[in-house]
Amino acid sequence: MKIVLADDSRVMRQIVIRTLRQAGFTGHEILEAENGREAVELVQREAPDLVLSDWNMPEMNGIDALNALRNSGSNVPFGFVTSEGSDEMRQRATLAGAAFLIAKPFTPEAFQEALSGLAV
Amino acid sequence: MTTTEFATTPEDLQMFVSEVWANHVAQVDELVPAPPHTWTATAGPAVPCWSGAVSVTGRWQGMIAVDLAGGSAEALARGMLALDETEEVDPVELSDVVGEFANIVGGNVKSLMPGPSTLSLPLVAHNVLEPPSGLHPQVTLDLAWRDAPVRVRVLALPSPTQ
Repeated sequence: MKIVLADDSRVMRQIVIRTLRQAGFTGHEILEAENGREAVELVQREAPDLVLSDWNMPEMNGIDALNALRNSGSNVPFGFVTSEGSDEMRQRATLAGAAFLIAKPFTPEAFQEALSGLAV
Repeated sequence: MTTTEFATTPEDLQMFVSEVWANHVAQVDELVPAPPHTWTATAGPAVPCWSGAVSVTGRWQGMIAVDLAGGSAEALARGMLALDETEEVDPVELSDVVGEFANIVGGNVKSLMPGPSTLSLPLVAHNVLEPPSGLHPQVTLDLAWRDAPVRVRVLALPSPTQ
């Protein structure tokens, strides 16, 4: 499986990759993006099976990236991994078409639960 | 409305900080309450530290700032980067770690406040970040990890009635 991982923090991208591994999701190809615009470009070029994205990023944030993807006709499964896990943010994510929102700090179990509903 | 009437409690803040520490630094029980440390922007070499801050703008307006002495910042970085104690921590990655620490604690504090509001990207300095003069301390947590100070502050605009 091919996964686009968008976060402006390189350290957080490393943590997410390590946590995915701890959650049992191994052997996947991870394509890293530093912001939403890079994530959108990667989705259009690489046709991944899943996007994991931070919300708050420079240049283009995660919700704008999701809106851009949906407006372009992409239905790629999209999940947020963000420090903002309020009900309001979860509602905004769901309305925009996100499959889930994992709040930081997270555990491997949070990834197992979120990804269990997807065909990954 | 931009007021301090919506308050974070010390218990909330302690929980957020402890969760981050527990996730990344194994010895969470070693992050303990400590007497207030003297942090100054003009500190000499005796107090090297890293600071990170995020601001929240909207119905609630404020700033969440973290200050870490060198030892505690490096411990958090080693945990987040999965490095052992003999490996050097790259200053660029250390800055990234401090920014993420501020972002995670700040995002969780924001989630307790009434919205809508927006969280800023983190600002990081290898020194103490002084908040804008209009912001007042709402909650301050003074902690230490193996005697290395850690401070977490929530600052907010004062209520019009205060």
